[in-house]
Amino acid sequence: MSEGTVLIIGAGPAGLEAARSVAELGYSAVLVEKRDRLGGMPDEANYAKLTHHFLDAGEAIGELAAAATGHENVQVLTSSQVTHVEGEPGAFRVGIQNGAGAKTVNAGAIIVATGFQHFDPGRETQYYNYYSFPDVITIADLEGMLKAHQVVRPSNGQPPERVAFIQCVGSRDRQIGNEFCSKVCCGIASKQAIEVKQQLPDSRVMIFYIDMRMYGYWENELYWPAQEQYHVNYVKGLVSEILPKGDRLLVRGEDTTMGRPMEVTLDLVVLSVGMEPSAGTRSMAEVLGLEQNKYGYIAAGGPTGIDPVATSRPGVFVVGAAAGPSDLDDSFATAGLAAARAVATIRRSNGA
Amino acid sequence: MLQWTLGKATGSYPDVPYEEKERLFLEVKEDPRYEDFLYGCYECGICVSACPSARFYDYSPRVIAQAMAREDVDRFYEILVEDIWNCAQCFSCVRCPRQNNPGGLVTLIREVAVRNGIQETRDVLQGYTRVIYKVMLKGNQVSPDMLQPDFFPDWGPWVQSFRGNMNIWRQAIPVDTLRGVTDAAWETDENTLRELYTIWFETGNIDIIEEVDEGLYELLVDVMEEELEEWE
Repeated sequence: MSEGTVLIIGAGPAGLEAARSVAELGYSAVLVEKRDRLGGMPDEANYAKLTHHFLDAGEAIGELAAAATGHENVQVLTSSQVTHVEGEPGAFRVGIQNGAGAKTVNAGAIIVATGFQHFDPGRETQYYNYYSFPDVITIADLEGMLKAHQVVRPSNGQPPERVAFIQCVGSRDRQIGNEFCSKVCCGIASKQAIEVKQQLPDSRVMIFYIDMRMYGYWENELYWPAQEQYHVNYVKGLVSEILPKGDRLLVRGEDTTMGRPMEVTLDLVVLSVGMEPSAGTRSMAEVLGLEQNKYGYIAAGGPTGIDPVATSRPGVFVVGAAAGPSDLDDSFATAGLAAARAVATIRRSNGA
Repeated sequence: MLQWTLGKATGSYPDVPYEEKERLFLEVKEDPRYEDFLYGCYECGICVSACPSARFYDYSPRVIAQAMAREDVDRFYEILVEDIWNCAQCFSCVRCPRQNNPGGLVTLIREVAVRNGIQETRDVLQGYTRVIYKVMLKGNQVSPDMLQPDFFPDWGPWVQSFRGNMNIWRQAIPVDTLRGVTDAAWETDENTLRELYTIWFETGNIDIIEEVDEGLYELLVDVMEEELEEWE
């Protein structure tokens, strides 16, 4: 019998890793997931390969899910939602609703791992005609094509000769309200550009960007190979609009470093949509009474401002992209940290 | 290949067929040195900041690297005809964090321009005929007898004085290899010259001259062949 229970909301990569960590520390984890499947966004959006490691997403997330569910200390509740929470650190009572009815789970600490959603490129000031032009897609759409080895123009089913990515769609834009950088899209676009070139070696691939944000090893793992081995063209300058040109697309922008306006015809345009807080993140923030930042993410930082998993409510911790844009590595790191904090909370309340 | 700007698709040289520009572009890319001269460009501009030419001319080593990476054939042709001659080939640009060598790209493009006898290239090199003549025949690029009043008007009346008394001035130099020598910077040994001429023929260097200046080529070949025959 374990010393106590940690309730984890959301079974994406961060939630799965948090559950596994709690279990391996000798405590019980109750993992609550709204969907009927585990794996979170990589599973839901059918990712092909993970950034930055090029691991097969299905296999990697599957192993993660198996590691959590295979542990005797982990109890998984799918198709379930948290409806209310009361109590205090060491003694929370969590109401859970699912098809079988409502029940209450006692938990000493709570970890919120409710993640993000992809920015909807049809929203507001975007002139990219995502909902009008079939050959304008998002990086999430392209993942499915790459997974199926069917990178084609949706308009005619033919492989594209020229593909361009447009960065910062829905990020770093005061007009949209998302002033933040979504952190991962530069890496994802570069990863996908490499994959497109691997699957369609004769294609021409461009990336239109504001800044390329390729911190740490993403530089030598993604950016340099994309440019040097796969001859992906990085063009500093965003596209203002996409127009039809015959059966192709005409994009307008400025090639800023070459100092000239630019008009290029393309077959497929991929919008590098950023992250926004998921519906689950917004609703769990309300259910748990957690402070949110101006973008709707759960405010993290704690009293010191530098604790990435502390929320405004003691005993409740936030991991992964529920606190803001996050890559998988950072999601893992926060998951492990939150597991440690949650276990410490329980031990403290037990008088340890 | 990709045209970056539809409106100005033909660049500054609309009369030159795109296929011809592309052929020259590919000739540069096929050079075995190319892959060591261009990796990828951050567009950081450190090459421009280090470049002396960029401070005085409308010239950017970054644009050279980027135009090649973009495979921008029209811009490449402008570079081949114009930009490359603004480079001093000092290679300050190799400070590049990606280890690109924009000056090396200029070298390759110059070689292609010369090899293909581009008319604008011939025109540019016209002014260097005398220098090439000296380098090929004497092994050094300037000599006292090149100091002619017509070519150095900014030297004022002094040039006439130097020119008229060149032999006396040179006799006054207390160095054996310089004393009294006026048709070369310094006296060049006969064997050295013969070796030099052999190198020009064996490496195909003289054939490059033929592409840009046939008159100069014939002049050089006459002198060098005579010297080499005498040697044999």
